[in-house]
Amino acid sequence: MDPSGPVQQLLSQGEKCVSAADAYLVQGRARVSRVAALVETETAFGPNFGFFMFGTKRMPVQGSDLTLVTVIPVKEDFAVEVIDDPSQDLLGSDVPVKVCGSGQVLTLNLPFGSKSGNFLTALRRAISIYTSQPPAEVFQPFAWLEKYELMTATADRSDWPWSGTGLDAMAAEIVTEGFEDNFADSLSFDDAASLASQQDLGDSEADGSGLEPVNVSRGGSASTMGSMMANPPSVREPIVKMYMLKEEAKYTHLKTFRIFAGTWNVNGQPATESLKAWLAKDSTPPDLYAVGFQELDLSKEAFVFNDSAREEEWVKAVTHGLHPEASYRRVRLIRLVGMMLLVFVRSEHNKFLSQIEAQTVGTGIMGKMGNKGGVAIRFDFHNTSFCIVNSHLAAHTEHYERRNQDYSDICARMQFNLTQPPLTIHKHNVVLWVGDLNYRLSDIEISEVKALIEKEMFWALMEHDQLKRQMNERSVFKDFKEASVNFIPTYKYDPGTDDWDTSEKCRVPAWCDRVLCKGDSVSAVEYRSHRELKLSDHKPVSCLFDIGVKVIDEDNYKRVFEEVIRKLDKLENEFLPSVSLSCVDLKFERIKFLEPQKKTISITNTGQVPCQFEFICKLDEKEYCKPWLNVQPSLGFIMPGDSYPIELEIYVDKNTAGRLNSGEDSLEDILVLHLDGGKDYFVTVQGDFIPSCFGSSIEALCNMRGPIREVPVARLVDLEAGSPSETSPEDSFSTLPIPKEIWLLVDHLYKHALCQEDLFQQPGLHSEIEEIRDCLDTGMPDTIPGQPHSVAECLLMFLDSLPEPVVPHQYYQSCLDSCTRFELCEQLMSQVPEHHRNVFKYLTAFLRELLKYQDDNKRDPKMLAMIFGGLLLKPKPDEAKRQNNQQTARRRATFIYQFQVNPYDG
Amino acid sequence: MAAGPYNYSYIFKYIIIGDMGVGKSCLLHQFTEKKFMADCPHTIGVEFGTRIIEVSGQKIKLQIWDTAGQERFRAVTRSYYRGAAGALMVYDITRRSTYNHLSSWLTDARNLTNPNTVIFLIGNKCDLEAQRDVTYEEAKQFADENGLLFLEASAKTGENVEEAFLDTARKIYQNIQDGSLDLNAAESGVQHKPSSPRGTQLSNDQPANKEGCAC
Repeated sequence: MDPSGPVQQLLSQGEKCVSAADAYLVQGRARVSRVAALVETETAFGPNFGFFMFGTKRMPVQGSDLTLVTVIPVKEDFAVEVIDDPSQDLLGSDVPVKVCGSGQVLTLNLPFGSKSGNFLTALRRAISIYTSQPPAEVFQPFAWLEKYELMTATADRSDWPWSGTGLDAMAAEIVTEGFEDNFADSLSFDDAASLASQQDLGDSEADGSGLEPVNVSRGGSASTMGSMMANPPSVREPIVKMYMLKEEAKYTHLKTFRIFAGTWNVNGQPATESLKAWLAKDSTPPDLYAVGFQELDLSKEAFVFNDSAREEEWVKAVTHGLHPEASYRRVRLIRLVGMMLLVFVRSEHNKFLSQIEAQTVGTGIMGKMGNKGGVAIRFDFHNTSFCIVNSHLAAHTEHYERRNQDYSDICARMQFNLTQPPLTIHKHNVVLWVGDLNYRLSDIEISEVKALIEKEMFWALMEHDQLKRQMNERSVFKDFKEASVNFIPTYKYDPGTDDWDTSEKCRVPAWCDRVLCKGDSVSAVEYRSHRELKLSDHKPVSCLFDIGVKVIDEDNYKRVFEEVIRKLDKLENEFLPSVSLSCVDLKFERIKFLEPQKKTISITNTGQVPCQFEFICKLDEKEYCKPWLNVQPSLGFIMPGDSYPIELEIYVDKNTAGRLNSGEDSLEDILVLHLDGGKDYFVTVQGDFIPSCFGSSIEALCNMRGPIREVPVARLVDLEAGSPSETSPEDSFSTLPIPKEIWLLVDHLYKHALCQEDLFQQPGLHSEIEEIRDCLDTGMPDTIPGQPHSVAECLLMFLDSLPEPVVPHQYYQSCLDSCTRFELCEQLMSQVPEHHRNVFKYLTAFLRELLKYQDDNKRDPKMLAMIFGGLLLKPKPDEAKRQNNQQTARRRATFIYQFQVNPYDG
Repeated sequence: MAAGPYNYSYIFKYIIIGDMGVGKSCLLHQFTEKKFMADCPHTIGVEFGTRIIEVSGQKIKLQIWDTAGQERFRAVTRSYYRGAAGALMVYDITRRSTYNHLSSWLTDARNLTNPNTVIFLIGNKCDLEAQRDVTYEEAKQFADENGLLFLEASAKTGENVEEAFLDTARKIYQNIQDGSLDLNAAESGVQHKPSSPRGTQLSNDQPANKEGCAC
């Protein structure tokens, strides 16, 4: 149903609801039902728009159900944007939209469909119209919105933030917590269940109670039935992923791949040498290359603008230097100033690479500049995740702690966002870390270093290696491994030679350039430097790895996947909300007119998740229960294990008694108790109604000589249908002129209460009224019980309950029209059906009689005319709202007054 | 690991209808849990179950509504037919009365669902051969005359249960493929999730939406 109609009803003249849409306002994890609308008015400068948001009481909405909660003028600060949320990517799911303006930011979910689309289009059009108009300061275009802004300030903002059901909560939990290894490992189905419920429990305790009954007007939501949507599909994705990860061993096997990881600080030199001696040194071509460079470009441009002329030539050099016996494809290139990382893969493996992403972290001055820091490329190869990092850490022998810090910063700040949740370096199965890590040799003289190198006693030198020392202290590269270093330090040479640094700084040789690894099934095959390459003051280093990669076995994968899906289906079914009801078949006995009866049933949440229940409408019905039934509360929220009482009350009043007396209706109803996101329960309500003269028609009562309780039900139906069956022996009497009940009541008042003060003004006693009713319904008493005031009120109630008033509906308007002229009134009354006319005559005669004793009973004729005017003359129920105003009340009184002051005998 | 392989692309809504005691809830339970519920109480209301299946390489989520069979609830359970893509109409092969009432159930199903709703007739309790009261042949003939798919099944042994639910889905899927089931119709009972990027969806929606009046 289009909500723009109801919105239009609430607007002032000259304002038009251009478009409106049902929406959900997202508040944290809660979704509240709203109607969003775009309203237009015409100003001197062209059309002017406002964005309106209403609270809704029920669906489908009517004007009276809408409460204005937000108004935002469509002006320069107003913006609408569809939030691109891949986790919600699903056709048919709601579209998240952000609406900003007047300092407010609202997140709305618009239901998928053309209506929402039209609404967004209308909003965008309104924005473009605004921007094409003269600036707002010139005139006051939004003055028309002020009255609405005032309304929102006073509007009731109470909302019902229902939290989601189990799987939603579980998914939310997983998404926020991420796939912590220990979390995924330890999480069994039971854990998941309790996790979800605890989560919700926590939320609801924060709200202060386990159950929040909410009383709303009858109506519920007809749209809920049959359109129940289980958890949105996207919720399952992370859960399935998590379980698939847990079962990974069942559908993958390890296959070994050869990986070449190299690093070279090229000292800003051009790529003038062939790299084959470094990259293609081995007999077998590796499956994957990871090649890192540092100081690729020392120019100012590279530093300031991250723009490098050297990049291209070095990429070309690498590409030409790759092993000639295989064909390779470049996976990704990433460069930050002088740090560049390249990943190549053998062409035949390319299709098994996915989720490729590259990131950089600068740790130079201000923690940002890219002269130091790291670049990284991550990807999934088959089912194993790889992260390759190339870093250039802080220089100088004494700054090893600064290097440790650079490492920590890179680890902390490097984040890959392609996956949900985002990944850090350490979340990968395999991490290869190459680079000029810049760790030096400490506590040793340069001569001693060179002597040990001479003797190739690298193990002895290694004891002075800062990196080894820091790693042993677990201050840096925790859990990383390095193959044993059996090559001559790679730093620092005179460029173009194999000679140690002869500059005046005369650096101590060191293993600045390293390759580290982390992960299971990673083994280093060969770790070496490549002295043939001479253009830099560093020598390139490389390490060959054999890495066990988890390769998916398709058949097993399918089998495990099916298992997981089955498990989840089962879980989802178990997680459906479920309640038990103490009684689903309520029988009320002896329901009497105006005597309420109450029964309580208890609803217990027997499911594993909190549940929201609501009594909903049946097909083609506007209310969830019959008018004689009242259910409290009609909706609510229960925590698992909790119970809540629901009161059902049957109360037959004048509006419902007529149809029950006549047998057109019976006290039978089936209530539909709907659980949000789950099944429905039927509750049957039945009751025996004791027929009463109250609510019966004048005609039917005139045809009953005996009390109504003694009349068989079948005959009551006939009588009310207007066909007094002549076959019945008891019909031998002619019909009564007026219902005996009226005669009994009036006669009693006539005999005992003509002088009673305040008659028809002071209320009677409730117990006495019930007694009088029973007396009228069951027998023919000689005396009516109770004091005059009770009898008088009974008479008024009786008249009020008549299905067709004493002056039938069809004469109502004419009576009002001619109320000032008695002759016309008299003439009109002569047309009224006999029994009704008789009652009218009888009652007005009684009123005239009563007024003769005005001195004693102090009755004011105008007051009596007012009371009886409202009872004897009534508009049709569907017109009652329009007709019940002071003016018509006065005219009704005038009509009766004519008969109080003029002689009338029909 | 590539994103997306775990999601299903369609949601089909099913209803299960038929006389009281023919085993509707047991069929649902057998299908979702692969178990027989021996002392299944009468359903007073509407049960709900869900399972993901695969048809022609497509993952499909079935949302199954199992309605109360008692005559007195008939007027209320009619509310649930709307928007069903599949209707499983069940009788008990050992009780002829449940078979005789099929035409009345079929009338409801036809009147309250859309013309493309796949109606599958299930003769349940086929494990009780000795107590058979309705022959396979006559039921088959009834099904053929009314254009229904038909199988005899047993919620107890599980025989043909899977088949009935899956065949219904296959038929619905076929209707989608050959275009006879309009996914844009509000009451098709099918929701589709293609892998197209979000954002274009709203504008792609056809202007002549057949939703009509939802109330």
